[in-house]
Amino acid sequence: MDNKKVRTDATITWCPGCFNFQVLAGMQQFLEEEIRKGKKKEDFAIVAGIGCHAKIFDYLDMPGINTLHGRVPPTCLGMKLANPSLNVFGFSGDGDAYAEGLEHTISIARYNVNFKYLIHNNQVFALTLGEPSPVTELGFKDTTNPFGVKVPSMNPINLLLAAGATFVARIFAEVSQVKEILKEATKHKGFAFIEIIQPCPVFHQDAGYKERFYDLKQVRHDKTNLKAAMEKAEEFDYSSKASKIPLGIFYQVSRPTFEELKLNKSHN
Amino acid sequence: MRYNILCGGPAGQGPNFIANIISKGLVEKGFYVFSSREYESRIRGGHNYNIITFSDKPLYSNSIQVDILIALDDVSEVVHKDNLKKNVLIIKEEKSNVLAAGSAFKVLGIDFSILDSELKNQGNYNENISEAKKGYAAENRILNLPKVSKRKGLYIWAGNDGISFGASQSGLDFYYAYPMTPSTGVFFKLALEESSSKYVTVQLESEIAVVNAAIGSAIMGKKAMIGTSGGGFDLMTESLSLAGGAEVPLVMYLAQRPGPATGAATYTAQGDLNMARHSGHGEFIRVVSAPGDPIECAALTSQSFYLTQKYQIPGIILSDKHLADSIFSLTEKPSIVKSQVKIKWPARFTSYESDKDKIANSSGKNIILSVQKRKEKYLKLEKEIGAMKTYSIYGKKDSKNMVIGWGSTKGAILDSIKGLDCKFIQIIYLEPFSKKIKEELKKAKNLILVENNSNSPLSSLIAEKTGIFIEEKNKILKYDGRPFFYEALLSEIKKRLK
Repeated sequence: MDNKKVRTDATITWCPGCFNFQVLAGMQQFLEEEIRKGKKKEDFAIVAGIGCHAKIFDYLDMPGINTLHGRVPPTCLGMKLANPSLNVFGFSGDGDAYAEGLEHTISIARYNVNFKYLIHNNQVFALTLGEPSPVTELGFKDTTNPFGVKVPSMNPINLLLAAGATFVARIFAEVSQVKEILKEATKHKGFAFIEIIQPCPVFHQDAGYKERFYDLKQVRHDKTNLKAAMEKAEEFDYSSKASKIPLGIFYQVSRPTFEELKLNKSHN
Repeated sequence: MRYNILCGGPAGQGPNFIANIISKGLVEKGFYVFSSREYESRIRGGHNYNIITFSDKPLYSNSIQVDILIALDDVSEVVHKDNLKKNVLIIKEEKSNVLAAGSAFKVLGIDFSILDSELKNQGNYNENISEAKKGYAAENRILNLPKVSKRKGLYIWAGNDGISFGASQSGLDFYYAYPMTPSTGVFFKLALEESSSKYVTVQLESEIAVVNAAIGSAIMGKKAMIGTSGGGFDLMTESLSLAGGAEVPLVMYLAQRPGPATGAATYTAQGDLNMARHSGHGEFIRVVSAPGDPIECAALTSQSFYLTQKYQIPGIILSDKHLADSIFSLTEKPSIVKSQVKIKWPARFTSYESDKDKIANSSGKNIILSVQKRKEKYLKLEKEIGAMKTYSIYGKKDSKNMVIGWGSTKGAILDSIKGLDCKFIQIIYLEPFSKKIKEELKKAKNLILVENNSNSPLSSLIAEKTGIFIEEKNKILKYDGRPFFYEALLSEIKKRLK
């Protein structure tokens, strides 16, 4: 692998205006910076699921695996046990992480495997042409749900906090935010859950989120306080059209990683 | 001579514990032993039992008629009433299983010191040894058994012991599993020896997590293995297809049990041959082998590591509860083949049909290239496997009568054909299927098939691969969740000899 070029020559097949371009650019810049600082490509791994997000695997000339729908977390677990010093970045969509692979999303948080899990949440199954996901808002209509979504959406931030994630963040799909959070998450020794809110220009357009965002840092949120993190997570329920939407790190604490615990063969 | 001990009692009362100690004692004394166990899907109570068949000559199956009944409960005499010989010797002891063991050692003429040293390996030694001494002293019935002397190198192993040994000797790095009978014995054994081994065992939230974690480790150049039974394997099959498509080496231990769905969780069957050969979507390569005893369990596990690493494919080792849990007395040592890891990090893998850089590419031309690459690999694999031991022939080599079987029926078939005008072909590799098998089958005039299932997938496989059809009346099929017993199988085979 050529250590200079982070991107492949593959034709990008995302729609014009897709926010996945922002995530790709953020990731690319982050990797380029790391490589400039002396890291090698083989120090990183890209793992992607199935959906629009997963095409990022083909656009990054990096080692890793484009695995099955929903199976990013256990794949990353197996890789980290095999090589604990590898910097593993898992990419999933909301269908991947919250529908097909939810059991893994919850379990991986509990295990605290030291990899960074980025969820491209566009609140819709885009690649299969617009069906609702577990985080689509009440009332959303599409061909498979002509009478609208009738059950409330889940709140992944709260769910991951309850599951024991040691790093829980939410950002908007914008290059600098992606790059910043990657830096923060990489400093964190443990599992990092990063939800990237991104509109889908075709099936789930910008619902005016931008005007409702605010930065958790600006309200002096205590990210070591689980109760405070839960309260902040409750502010946006993924269906509301009016509430404020907090961005940034909700929660960050430290505890031993799965690989430290499993690879250490002495008793507790 | 074949002597038969049945040791029965409620779960938790230790019929299996006692049976294993007696089996070890018999082997120490110099007898050959085959011991199987039947247990219910419950933790305490009910009625579990082990059948220990022993002889002064090698044997690999159980008899059904009981010479000695060790009853750790009231119901053993009732449940097994029809199988007790007229002159059956009964050791009944509901309170202390080690007291019963002491008594049994006296009856069998086994040196008490063997029981002593076995109990030393267990907890509660002081209490146990005094009970065992009581049982030994109080017993005055001594069976008149043939004289045997200690046999050098005779040891006991269950199928699951062989699988574990084969895996650790093959350089296993990671064993991933979700508990499921009857595969869990391998997990127990590996975990027990983990602190002194290089591998790591990992239990995860589901079989789906298990197989994908194994794939994750495998793509980093580590030797990964999973263990499960039918239901768990079902959950893994999408990922089996991924391993096939993305060219990931993966060793899968599949221990069968009866029935669809949850079936009969703690019993035995050979119903998953077609699943092992065909599960997973799309066209991809796999290797499927079926050991017939613990030695083959170890050898085929190591071969699975070798072949999966060399060809970067998934490999399935097909066992069942009868083989996994039954104890064999053995002298031979398994031959372990060395396997080299081919994958070198950094590398790219993908679940999509892809180009040489592993970038998704669904052009017709590229799909054809991908398919052809797998086909070429299959031909190479087929050629290499063709030169390996894909089947074994036992018995009278020039006989016109031939029994055909695979997996755990091997023991009962071997015992049954002794002295008959009959040979036995054991199919070891079920996928790829050796072309030489057709020639062997053609040499016989009368084909008799033995399987522990009702649909006889092996005869379908033989028909598919060789065009040879086995007559319905020549299929000896058993599907009650129990293994074949020596006398019953012997009589079924005899009826069909020409």
